[in-house]
Amino acid sequence: MRVINEAEMSRTDWNELAELALKRIRAAGAEYGDIRILDSTTQVVHGEDRRIAAIRDMRDSGFGVRVLYHGAWGFAASSVMSLEEIPRVADLAVEIAKGSALLATERVQLAPEPVYVDAVVTPPRVDPFTVPLEEKTKLLLETMEKLHAHAGVARSNATLWARRDLKLFASTEGSRINFDLLAVHGDLEATAVHDGRFASRGFNTPHLRTGYELITDANFLAEAPRVAAQAVEKVKAPPVEAGQYDLILDPEHLSLTMHESCGHPSELDRALGYEANYAGTSFLTPDKLGTFRYGSPHVNLVADNTEPETLAATGFDDDGVACQKWDIIREGIFVGYCTNREVAPIIGQNRSRGSNRADGWGSVPIVRIANIGLAPGQAKLEDMIADVKRGIYIEGHGSFSIDQQRYNFQFGGDAFWLIENGKRTHMLRDVIYHGITPEFWGSCDAVADATHRQRYGFITCGKGQPAQSGWMTHAASHARIRKVNVIRGEAGP
Amino acid sequence: MSEERSATQAKLTSREEFQFLTDLVLKHSTGEHTLVALHDVYSGTTRFANNQIVQNVNVRRVSLAVTVAFGQQHGTASTTDLTAGAVQETVHRAEEIAKVAPPDPEYLPPVEPQSYPQRPSSRPETVRAGPDRRLAYAREAIELCKTDNLRAAGIVSSSVATVGVAASTGLFAYEERTGARFSLTAMGENSTGWASNEHRSIAHLGVTERTRVAIEKAKRSADPKEIPAGRYTVILEPAAVAGLMTWLMWMLDAKSYDKGTSPFSGKLGERILDQRLTLKNRPDHADLLGSGFTWEGLPSNDFAWIDAGVLKQLDYDRFTAKEHQVEVIPTLDAPCLSGNGSTVSSVEELVRNTPRGILVTNFWYLRIVNPTDLTLTGMTRDGTFLVEDGQVTTGLRNFRFHESPLQALNQIEAFTAPMEASSSETGKLLVPAIKIRDFNFSSVTRF
Repeated sequence: MRVINEAEMSRTDWNELAELALKRIRAAGAEYGDIRILDSTTQVVHGEDRRIAAIRDMRDSGFGVRVLYHGAWGFAASSVMSLEEIPRVADLAVEIAKGSALLATERVQLAPEPVYVDAVVTPPRVDPFTVPLEEKTKLLLETMEKLHAHAGVARSNATLWARRDLKLFASTEGSRINFDLLAVHGDLEATAVHDGRFASRGFNTPHLRTGYELITDANFLAEAPRVAAQAVEKVKAPPVEAGQYDLILDPEHLSLTMHESCGHPSELDRALGYEANYAGTSFLTPDKLGTFRYGSPHVNLVADNTEPETLAATGFDDDGVACQKWDIIREGIFVGYCTNREVAPIIGQNRSRGSNRADGWGSVPIVRIANIGLAPGQAKLEDMIADVKRGIYIEGHGSFSIDQQRYNFQFGGDAFWLIENGKRTHMLRDVIYHGITPEFWGSCDAVADATHRQRYGFITCGKGQPAQSGWMTHAASHARIRKVNVIRGEAGP
Repeated sequence: MSEERSATQAKLTSREEFQFLTDLVLKHSTGEHTLVALHDVYSGTTRFANNQIVQNVNVRRVSLAVTVAFGQQHGTASTTDLTAGAVQETVHRAEEIAKVAPPDPEYLPPVEPQSYPQRPSSRPETVRAGPDRRLAYAREAIELCKTDNLRAAGIVSSSVATVGVAASTGLFAYEERTGARFSLTAMGENSTGWASNEHRSIAHLGVTERTRVAIEKAKRSADPKEIPAGRYTVILEPAAVAGLMTWLMWMLDAKSYDKGTSPFSGKLGERILDQRLTLKNRPDHADLLGSGFTWEGLPSNDFAWIDAGVLKQLDYDRFTAKEHQVEVIPTLDAPCLSGNGSTVSSVEELVRNTPRGILVTNFWYLRIVNPTDLTLTGMTRDGTFLVEDGQVTTGLRNFRFHESPLQALNQIEAFTAPMEASSSETGKLLVPAIKIRDFNFSSVTRF
């Protein structure tokens, strides 16, 4: 990410609106306030069954004002960007905060953070919004044709997605941060039908803060024949026999496993009960910090919101805290949380980890999973497979479900291959594995080296009330987990 | 703040203003067909945890979407800026997309003008409700929990929206819709209890009654015991039934049915559920969230989707409906599942008539495991109890289940009359509590 001079991105009208809101907040006697002004553009080109089903270009602009008054929060937001609406919304935020203060038993104390005047921009090689739509629709149509060219494929879809966020963060503490952020993604999928069953196989780029070069480099047309062939092979594959297997999990698959079983339980607001009514709490309670064995010594899960191109690497979070890198699990021991300025002091930490993010101008920022990734090990993938007598190699995402404290989980995948006597053999279908989080990670006995590392992003991580969609990237090399319970994913007799 | 509108409340787009916006769009559009969709919402949520407010928000969001078509080529652009210049620019963006979009063989022009039944979609008490009302409800829930040494976490929310659809065909639909929600998790040392409601009227949330239910569940499930996974008779409370039904309803897509990628393929006209069960759309029902029209401007209606266990309807897009010569597309905005024949009066009576079973308050994180047979998985949550000899004897550690509603809802032993149900994973439904035999719990968790 390139950090540029603020003057390059100065938006005079936004600055005036921000100053008006902050002046109002200060005059009301609030101890803290901030405003985020956003102008987001999202373009979606979606193909389905050999046709372009939708092209949408969505502009979404507005502002949100957050106020801390007598230790209690108020937030108000509006899509009407005018000199009349700013005072109405700022006053409403103050009024709401005063109401919250009536029920406050513990006053919110924000962890200190330096004041920043800065600007952050994603440096794409190819701006996705300048790529002609004709080029995009042609790519998707040709991709779907290649998917349908394979006998047995009944349905197809392919999508290109791009987003630009222009944002100003301004606080009563003096921070003024401008953002110009991009994100890009593309995917394709084939669904095959056979003998009354159907199964899908997909390919997708990660969601990354890059330009359209991400799509070009992904080479959909080269991937489509493989995806189609594997969809057909998958639907015709024998079902898995239930039992214990050693699993080799690919980086894309692990991105979801890490997200659900490590990412969410390491959110401190969950551990403190803030999400008890919706997303849930966490088995990683503060008393376990620094001592709890979460996994084997092979398991090092690192939060890195500074890695270029990743979704949570936005320079600063929505508290105005600089992005950081820190350990969540070190050699199997739980050592770190994702935090914001509000919750970090509650467990005695004097600085936020900078993981407070909102999904738009109309949402209040909440603690979010960072870019948590599995640190590479020393193993070679071929050696890891060779050392498996009876196992399953799993790629991609499938069915997933986990309890609200993040102990009991169950995952499927997008594609499965049986491993017998050290060799990856034929595909399987209906593979589901389940376990208890610390037992599962405790059975990890190998992680592949950095040459196998890949990144996958999420933009639909649900949390908060009203529900918000969080964005983050999870990177990993392949991991081997021994003796995992596998069942067949069907209703049964 | 008083319940009356004050200077800090937002004024939403009126019918006349939507008509003005529509005229503005149609005036500037050069497309063969133009569709305009308005969604203007003012919503507030007061969120609490650990017996105090942790989030208190009010948001006004207005958006206008314009779809323009030249022949079979179409494009859509939207904006949250309703100034004349921005609206005009949005029309232009939609036109630019449509001009280069490949012809879509499934595109159909906007529908012709329709007549709409009046639905009970808006309640004045919800329109008037503001942060003070939400705060009062939150305070009540918190105080009741504190009395029982429990921690309260939950939300009180309310919203008012104006929604419109109009088109160059002369189509014009406009409606005000309100919504309110209360959800509470009462937390003990090692147990939780939950209750929730969603309604057009904020006065109908039943905060006191539902708070007491959540408290009772938290207290009764203290020190939960672990019993092995396996097949059990279960009594599913309405929220749990709603979870199963929601996934069933989501999979009724007609195009997937045609392509052989639906769990229902080949089953239209066949019995898929217990013959005592009927699923109807009831948009007139005051306790459901029916609305007057769909996003395309089609009127809502009251078809039976599953009649006496037989699948009668599919969820049609307009193209597939035309292919099948379906003239009136059924809507499913206000689902009501009911049981024919003898019902029991309450969940308590279902418990009294059960020698041994498990009472389930709610399901969590439901997902499809196998789309061919609609096998689902999920966890029990916030109140799972062992029933022995007609009585709740202890709280239980939560289970993971593996079941298809197409199988479980054919193993019914008894049911109540439909009751209100909503959760974080469902919309608002009316469904019975149902006793089901041989329900498959596949594993147990640690709490």
